[in-house]
Amino acid sequence: MNIELTAAQKALQTEVREYMKTVMTPELLEEMKDDDLKEGGGPEFRKQYARMGADGWIGLSWPKDLGGKELSHIEQYIFTDEVIRSGFAYPFLTTEAVAPVLAKNANDEVREEVVGGVKRGEVTIAIGYSEPNAGTDLASLRTKAERDGDDWVINGQKMWTSLANYADYVWLAARTDPDPDKKHKGLTMFLVPTDTPGYSCTPVRTLGARTNATYYEDVRISDKYRVGEINGGWKLITSQLNVERLSLFTHGQVHSLYESVAEWAAETKAPSGGKVIEQSWVQHNLARVKVGLEALKIMCWNQAWMMDQGPLDMAKASTAKVYGSEFFVELYRLLLECMGGAGSIAAHSPGAILQGKLEFRWRVGSILTFGGGTNEVQRDIIAMAGLWMPRTR
Amino acid sequence: MDFTIAEELASVQQLAQQILNDFSDVEQLKAFDGEHVRFDSKLWEALAEAGLLGLDIPEPQGGTDLGFFALTALCEEVGRTAAPAPVVPVLVSAAGTLRRFGSDALKEQWLSAIAGGSIVTAALEEYGNEDPATPATSAKATEGGYAVSGTKICVSLADQAQRILLSANCDGQLIVALIDPKAAGVTLSPQLVTANELRHEIALDNVQVPAEDIVATGATAVDAMNWATQATRTALCASMLGLCDKMMRITGSYTSEREQFGRAIATFQSVSHRVADCYIDIECLRLVTQQAASLIDQGRPAEEAVTIAKIWCGDVAHRVSQASQHCHGGTGVDRDYPLFRYCLQARQIELSMGNSAQLTGQLGEEIAREFLAAS
Repeated sequence: MNIELTAAQKALQTEVREYMKTVMTPELLEEMKDDDLKEGGGPEFRKQYARMGADGWIGLSWPKDLGGKELSHIEQYIFTDEVIRSGFAYPFLTTEAVAPVLAKNANDEVREEVVGGVKRGEVTIAIGYSEPNAGTDLASLRTKAERDGDDWVINGQKMWTSLANYADYVWLAARTDPDPDKKHKGLTMFLVPTDTPGYSCTPVRTLGARTNATYYEDVRISDKYRVGEINGGWKLITSQLNVERLSLFTHGQVHSLYESVAEWAAETKAPSGGKVIEQSWVQHNLARVKVGLEALKIMCWNQAWMMDQGPLDMAKASTAKVYGSEFFVELYRLLLECMGGAGSIAAHSPGAILQGKLEFRWRVGSILTFGGGTNEVQRDIIAMAGLWMPRTR
Repeated sequence: MDFTIAEELASVQQLAQQILNDFSDVEQLKAFDGEHVRFDSKLWEALAEAGLLGLDIPEPQGGTDLGFFALTALCEEVGRTAAPAPVVPVLVSAAGTLRRFGSDALKEQWLSAIAGGSIVTAALEEYGNEDPATPATSAKATEGGYAVSGTKICVSLADQAQRILLSANCDGQLIVALIDPKAAGVTLSPQLVTANELRHEIALDNVQVPAEDIVATGATAVDAMNWATQATRTALCASMLGLCDKMMRITGSYTSEREQFGRAIATFQSVSHRVADCYIDIECLRLVTQQAASLIDQGRPAEEAVTIAKIWCGDVAHRVSQASQHCHGGTGVDRDYPLFRYCLQARQIELSMGNSAQLTGQLGEEIAREFLAAS
């Protein structure tokens, strides 16, 4: 047992950290001031994403025959962690979660087109699972795909299709069997090119970031865009969830927020004299953050390590989801409290602390406690898979 | 990075489980409640025979030298069974410190005895002071040794121990000494503590300690007490891990069988989610404890990791204990059902050697120092 990065892993961490400084150009920072381009999609984002592809950074964990480096999950985690820490809107669900599933299950032509495009940093994919009446309960989704000769015709609506405003494809779960014996058995996965007629997208404004509703009105796509077996979609959805989770709760980004706030508090005068950080209540909050961060860091490393040993235990994966998402919200609260009332000043307003980064993070923070599978369902999973307790109803 | 549990460690854990289970059914545990010192000498003998008392004792002294991490695995198993086996004060606080800081003669004399089952305990706490590196207990140099005066509290096995390891302040210099509890000037007063066991207050009045029983002085003594603090805290975290895991599993089983409103109460999300929250808490405690233990095992700086682990330890103990009792209803507090013992033990550990509030305060001051120095 040695819970530390090896010298080689530390070197990778440093290399990625330095590299990402060159990705976060002043042009990109300027572009990201636009609310609609905060999460990527602008010309400078496209340019830097393609540069990451050309420099060989995309698909580190992919197999060598796809142009990957077959790095372990730990190294993949180190990479993702640093990329997210840098603030780049790297489409990690595209690169780490969906692309490997496509590489395994798509036909050759689509694999070259889409997986090759991702590898080059030219393609982004949005995820179309949720629907207005189906969130975590994906088995109840209703968007349907019907076979018509060599094509499929898709009708329905998806909700919370983040990144769809600039994505090249939607990774879409659709019902192909309206009346299966078990509801999750009638789903099939498709890739819908977003320039297909009948596809449309409207913004949904949330507390923080923009997301989208997407509409599918007689969208006709070739059978080559079907991924995996007909009615075999459930397996493809669940096989990518673990990887997805590990990208959602990385330690680096929140750790850098902690450092920034502590630095700010050490430099800023308190009303009573001395520095903000010399006040015991500020120290208490910073200590609480540090205690939680340490557990988060080891949990992420531990899960990446477990994924290298074999499939990740369901209860452990759900543990990371619940702990990570709820700790994020708590961390934002504790750090914002250190700033006092000025913590509420948004970016670009005079007096905003740390460019309003935390003010913004708090507003987007609650998404993760229900997104990616609501935490109540994760707790059901923990009770069943981790403690052998009977199914709740 | 490597989270692998070595094979030999897994077999140590298995062996420990077998022995501890044999000695910790409800009736056996009952015999050590309340007005008795919590020490099962037959169990201790069995652990000695299996080589489990010498996990962190060098081979020449009769140990197996598997190291500190292996010792915390034993502490976890003792926690899991709530067995009356004082592994933390004897094997960690006393033997671990002696091994690393004692003279060759003291090591020769005591480590093999401890591996064989002899009791040497440690007295690290005083009234209002849980830092043995800054004791109020004082010492003055005498001909051939030191005279020690002061008071230590909540000492495990004080009346059974052959020696008690403790620290004292000698004109601004720290000393660590082995005290014979039968020496003139030592008064032991029984203290009943939350864990429902007898410990002792040790009052020392000019107790003569011969020079050969001095473990360390000066800077070495400070290092020794800092090591003892960190190792003891980490071992307490490991015990807590076993305790909490067991409390949670008892609660998972109980709620899966206990029926109310015509169904098992575990099928109510309000119940199952509380137990799931315990699972998440315990996973966090496990990871931070493993980190602290592996750093100490490698002789690396561990202070911050240990502080963080002990904060988690206190918080998790409190939450898991309360959730377990609550989900059991009255059964949880009934002394004929095993849960109460775990709750009491957990509370005792939570309050020992630094609690969450105190350590959070300390950590916060450290953080402030670090960032003020950099600004």
